[in-house]
Amino acid sequence: MVTQLRRLWVVPPIVFALFFVLPLVGLFVRALTDGDVGSELGSGRTWDALWLSVFTATFSLGISIAFGTPLAYMLARSRSTSMRLAASLLDLPLVLPPAVAGIALLAMFGRRGYAGEPLEGAGIALSFTTAGVIAAQVFVSAPYYVRTAYAGFVAADPRFEGVAHTLGLSRWRTFRRVTLPLVWPALAGGAVLCWARALGELGATLLFAGSLPGRTQTMPLAILAAFESSAGLAGAVSIAVILVAVALALLVVLHRFIGSQGAYQ
Amino acid sequence: MFRLIPLLLSVSLVATACSDGGGAADVYAASSLTDVLPRVVERYRMQNPDADINLVFGGSQALATQVEEGAPADIYIAANRAQAQRLVDANLATRPVVLAESTLVIAVREDAPWFTVDEIATARPRVAVAAAGVPVGGLTEAALDAMEPSLAAAFRAGIVTRDPSVRVVLSRVELGEADVAFVYATDVPSADGVRAIALGEQPPSNQYVATLVTDGGRAPDSDVESFFAFLAGTTAETAFVEFGFPLVAGN
Repeated sequence: MVTQLRRLWVVPPIVFALFFVLPLVGLFVRALTDGDVGSELGSGRTWDALWLSVFTATFSLGISIAFGTPLAYMLARSRSTSMRLAASLLDLPLVLPPAVAGIALLAMFGRRGYAGEPLEGAGIALSFTTAGVIAAQVFVSAPYYVRTAYAGFVAADPRFEGVAHTLGLSRWRTFRRVTLPLVWPALAGGAVLCWARALGELGATLLFAGSLPGRTQTMPLAILAAFESSAGLAGAVSIAVILVAVALALLVVLHRFIGSQGAYQ
Repeated sequence: MFRLIPLLLSVSLVATACSDGGGAADVYAASSLTDVLPRVVERYRMQNPDADINLVFGGSQALATQVEEGAPADIYIAANRAQAQRLVDANLATRPVVLAESTLVIAVREDAPWFTVDEIATARPRVAVAAAGVPVGGLTEAALDAMEPSLAAAFRAGIVTRDPSVRVVLSRVELGEADVAFVYATDVPSADGVRAIALGEQPPSNQYVATLVTDGGRAPDSDVESFFAFLAGTTAETAFVEFGFPLVAGN
């Protein structure tokens, strides 16, 4: 009896897993019964939105890696109190609702924003452009990468770097040959989180970049537009399953890639 | 091992049973009624101090979809006849009644140098519209179709966003992100520093239609009935007029 009771610990994980799996089952069943996935797959609008989503999320990830890696390293290796404070602020963007992120971007980089107005004068417009979509995605998704990379750099013992350095390795080679292999799993995990968050971005993009098919309408915005249109739920689920399928496939590929690179040399 | 599941189920059933509080009316309304309906509710409360009216605003289509999916709405007010009829035809709502009308206009910033549709079109503006599936978006398409082709082409070329609700469209001009927005005349006063330019002699118009949500046969309780009757009455009508909604002919 007691041993049987002890086995009950498996109930919460199973219930919890079902909570995530069942809605997706519902989505697919609904799409196959009510929806018309075939006609969405044949629609140029859906392909435009899908391509725009994958392109902008990947571009945003590239920016996050290029700028976020040195930032995370700098914050992790610095001993000054002001840098420590800056590092503790890394969590702040994570708690901002996307709508707040969108309004903040408008206030600064909108056409009448503090920086947006001079930029507009210089011929650089962000709002309602694909660049605006990327700006919104970077704003909400980069913290996931920087936060994870920072934790990785903090966990990697700086004494290894010191030893490599005293053995005559240059600073760049030390980073590449010693530090990077140590933090690689953290960087890769952060990159997946960052890309996934950018792919799902909706609120900040709608407010800052608008929703125009082919230019700023990513998949989440296309799904919202379908939901708000006469197509209703049936139209929305048809596009949604396409996004879920593509995201799932890309995540599997990414995890394979990271798995095989686990032993980074 | 699965003995906990019936327990979990019974707990969740009790929770759902409790959440449906009696005496409250949930009103799902088109987002262009965001300003006027709270005033209507305020007037209603003067007569019925205990009334518990919850207002939910959104795009008419999205709200209709939510009702179809079982949202606990008691009254649904659409920004056009078609959306109200959609629920009536599905046997989810009954007794459609026209509450008010509004017309489509072009919203521009107060300091904009334009006063006619032609002036705007020649200035190659950045144009915000609602998505074609939203009532105001459908009305915008109809208005563009009725325009002189060269004017319509100039507006269409300038479209920078197709937004999910009329209030989002209006905010684009209020924030200066777009130069012009196609919205209802009655939305314009809610934005700061924005004025309306009329769309010709006979501008396209829409009607706000309220329906009682029956969800396939549920009888509305007396609180809901009472507020529904009030919505279609003269006190509510004066509130609509105060907010610039033209009087409905024949009401």
